[in-house]
Amino acid sequence: MEVLEIILVVFLVFSALMTVRFDEELISIIFLSIFSLILTALYLLHKAADVALAEAVIGAGLNTAIFMSAISQIRHGDSD
Amino acid sequence: MEIPTETQPEVEILNKLMKKTLISGVLIGVAFALYHNFALMPEYQGLNEGLSNYILKSGLNDTGSLNLITAVLYDYRAFDSLGESTVIFGAVSGIVLILSRKMLPVSSKGLSFIVKRTLGIMTPFIALFGFYVITHGHLTPGGGFQGGVILAAISIIFSIVYGSAFDYRRYSPQTKTALETGGALTFLGLGLAGILMEGAFLHNLGFLTAETGTLISAGSIPYINIGVGFKVGAGLAIIFYSMIQKTFEEDF
Repeated sequence: MEVLEIILVVFLVFSALMTVRFDEELISIIFLSIFSLILTALYLLHKAADVALAEAVIGAGLNTAIFMSAISQIRHGDSD
Repeated sequence: MEIPTETQPEVEILNKLMKKTLISGVLIGVAFALYHNFALMPEYQGLNEGLSNYILKSGLNDTGSLNLITAVLYDYRAFDSLGESTVIFGAVSGIVLILSRKMLPVSSKGLSFIVKRTLGIMTPFIALFGFYVITHGHLTPGGGFQGGVILAAISIIFSIVYGSAFDYRRYSPQTKTALETGGALTFLGLGLAGILMEGAFLHNLGFLTAETGTLISAGSIPYINIGVGFKVGAGLAIIFYSMIQKTFEEDF
């Protein structure tokens, strides 16, 4: 359990750093959803199933969709 | 409103000074209010005493809900949940007011045939899972909020895969608005029923309680869950619809 938690935390920090590092918005958003997924696993590891469900649904699902639609709007604005 | 730059220097300095005084006054006021809030809190009493232990010990007897988190959210702290759903209502109203001047269907062709057929097979199961999470909120992890977001995901997937005109025809914004208002009114109506029957706003309705662990138990908690679920789902779907409206306009 301890080892799994350490691995997950390392990947969490890694994905958070990658989210900030890239200039390309699409890569940032994908890393953000990976961040949410790892966070879900961590919540579940600490037996907070309610929060894990909310994080999976909102962080990995809804946020990604809304950010994607925002990005495509920005790109359309650029091409004009 | 911006201050023009060509005013006399004394006036400008005075304006800046006034701004700084106002900002620091507001900050000091907020700090004062926060300090009083924290001073009101009870001291930490350890895990074996205090409020958390009380809820762990007698939450099941008080509410009849197996999921103690739902018991806290919709029974002990139901008034807070009412405030949260009011916040969502405010967010939806603001976004619709700013982003969508008219509710017109603007569509794309959607994605390929294979994606559309696959989604057609998967959608009933997503909806079933959403309804399961909502209605079993007092028995298993989940509840109105999480299940509502899953239901909103159906509308979002429809907008992306089939184009937003399909979503408009199936679940028009008027329907979503009616669902959201209905959910909020269910919540408020159960709160008022608490006043009439039990003597306190949002008190758990005792006469609805059945055997613990069955689907229709825990007083009014399942019904509040259903109301919050429809409210959150319809609200988030409205937000996404009004954001996506112009997005795929040029994809014809």
